[in-house]
Amino acid sequence: MTKSPLDGRPLANLLFLLPSLIIYVAFIFGPIVVAVGLSFTDWNGLGRPVFVGIANYTALFRDPDFLTAMKNNAVLMIFYCLVPLALGMVLASVVSAVPPRERLAVRTLLFLPYIMPSAVIGIVWRWLYNPLFGPINQGLKAVGLGALALPWLGDFTWALPAVGFVVVWYYFGFCMVIFMTGLQRLDPSLYEASRIDGAGPVYTFRRITFPLLLPEVRIVLLLTIIASIKSFDLIFTMTRGGPANATLVPNIYMYEMGFQLSRFGYAAAVAVFGAAAIFAVNYAVHRAINPKDGV
Amino acid sequence: MPSSAPTAARSAGFRIVLWAFALFAIAPFGLLVMTSLKSQPDLMRGAFALPSRPHFENFVSAWVDGHFSTYFRNSVLVVVPVVIFGVILGLLSGFAFAFLSFPLKKIAFALLALGMMVPSEAYIIPLYYEMLYLGLINSYAALILPQIAMSVPFATFFMASAMQQLPTDILEAARIDGASRGRILMKVILPLMGPSISSLALFLFIWTWNEFLIPLILVNDDSLRTLPLGMLFFQGRHTVNIPVLTAGAVLVILPVIVAYLFFQRKFVEGLTAGASK
Repeated sequence: MTKSPLDGRPLANLLFLLPSLIIYVAFIFGPIVVAVGLSFTDWNGLGRPVFVGIANYTALFRDPDFLTAMKNNAVLMIFYCLVPLALGMVLASVVSAVPPRERLAVRTLLFLPYIMPSAVIGIVWRWLYNPLFGPINQGLKAVGLGALALPWLGDFTWALPAVGFVVVWYYFGFCMVIFMTGLQRLDPSLYEASRIDGAGPVYTFRRITFPLLLPEVRIVLLLTIIASIKSFDLIFTMTRGGPANATLVPNIYMYEMGFQLSRFGYAAAVAVFGAAAIFAVNYAVHRAINPKDGV
Repeated sequence: MPSSAPTAARSAGFRIVLWAFALFAIAPFGLLVMTSLKSQPDLMRGAFALPSRPHFENFVSAWVDGHFSTYFRNSVLVVVPVVIFGVILGLLSGFAFAFLSFPLKKIAFALLALGMMVPSEAYIIPLYYEMLYLGLINSYAALILPQIAMSVPFATFFMASAMQQLPTDILEAARIDGASRGRILMKVILPLMGPSISSLALFLFIWTWNEFLIPLILVNDDSLRTLPLGMLFFQGRHTVNIPVLTAGAVLVILPVIVAYLFFQRKFVEGLTAGASK
């Protein structure tokens, strides 16, 4: 890197960085380090933390509630990642069917859920799903599907897919917009050529669109997998992990263990495990999808 | 060449599908706004029945009896300093990363990148105890300071990459004129950064406005709750008064929707471009 004309003595330079660094270390990095330390202790929040080594982590994998939370998270990944990815890609590849002005309108509407506060979205969908006066069940009854009017969020089997449906609603437009941006990057002459060669739309999608969109696939996978591991607000306001742990996810479990049961060391282990999972996913997705050799 | 008739039919089909999904994306908001204007008797006539007349008194109820005036004020009192300090800190440290050399620069970079990846749930327990020991639990500082800190990594990287796009000859000329770096940042760089600063401010506004975990854990005094939290506790108190509940939800999301519709291009392009880095 060439030296910038604005560069100066290192110590004087540090003055520009220090304000940010100090507040960041004080309220983010410091707590991260402490959380890692705390995860190796037993602490009820009052006395001195007692060092227990990796006992919290080994206990996690024998804890049926934590394993349930992990399993639920795995199921939710279908709704966080796969469905929005597939839906977003299909919608993005047909969006050229509408004229440009309409395309902008569609994009604006589809992207809207993504910028909404997810805690409030959870409360709104709780109302939409309400078995007595919720619009969803009223609508089902109105069209003669009253038999399907289940107590969605209160039903042990259906609560998780019902939460998953909201997740799809929240993310699919975002995924579509990312793929739309990706498609703009592609050379239209490729499509021209494949059309002249007589390739059908499915073949074109499989052999041209999909491989060329791999960078976007990677971004979408990264963001949605990370979002699924981070999920808290939406589930907290919709079901709080219930009924009977049917929608429990690790972060809700962390909240219960820490702030309700005062098992702060154990809760910290849950939290640190989640953060480590995010790093692992990041690494794995970067390794697994390498757009340069994909094309 | 295939005839244009099936193509036209297919294109019409795609168009219908796209609009159906667009409708699906906004239907909950439509229902929300409609319900917020209903009276209780209107509600009894069914979820999809139009209100007999718009009942704006639901908004008054939410605002006054539902304490949304307090929640709204708190949200503004938290968002404004977070956005202002987030932008200022981003300008300073972005400047450092874009133009200056200092020891351990790579490590400092990694340190900030770490904070962008680690979710706040991972460090909320130590943060809670830190605030407790500092005596800041149940204060605006408990809401503002961590959220400024949470803004620092993104603000720094965003500002640094925007500053690297600036034409270097302007900066060189300013330096040769003997201006101090603080002065160059203020008088030369800042005026050129308008669009980037407004994008950054917009993102910080949305993230802070929507933040849930920080106020959930760090304050428990109703008079300090921000809108998303207020909404949750309001729901606990008024499960049956759906029109007022939905009016409250509209009050929370309305500023976001207004900002989005005004700056939708900035939003969509910024959030998706930022995602691809």
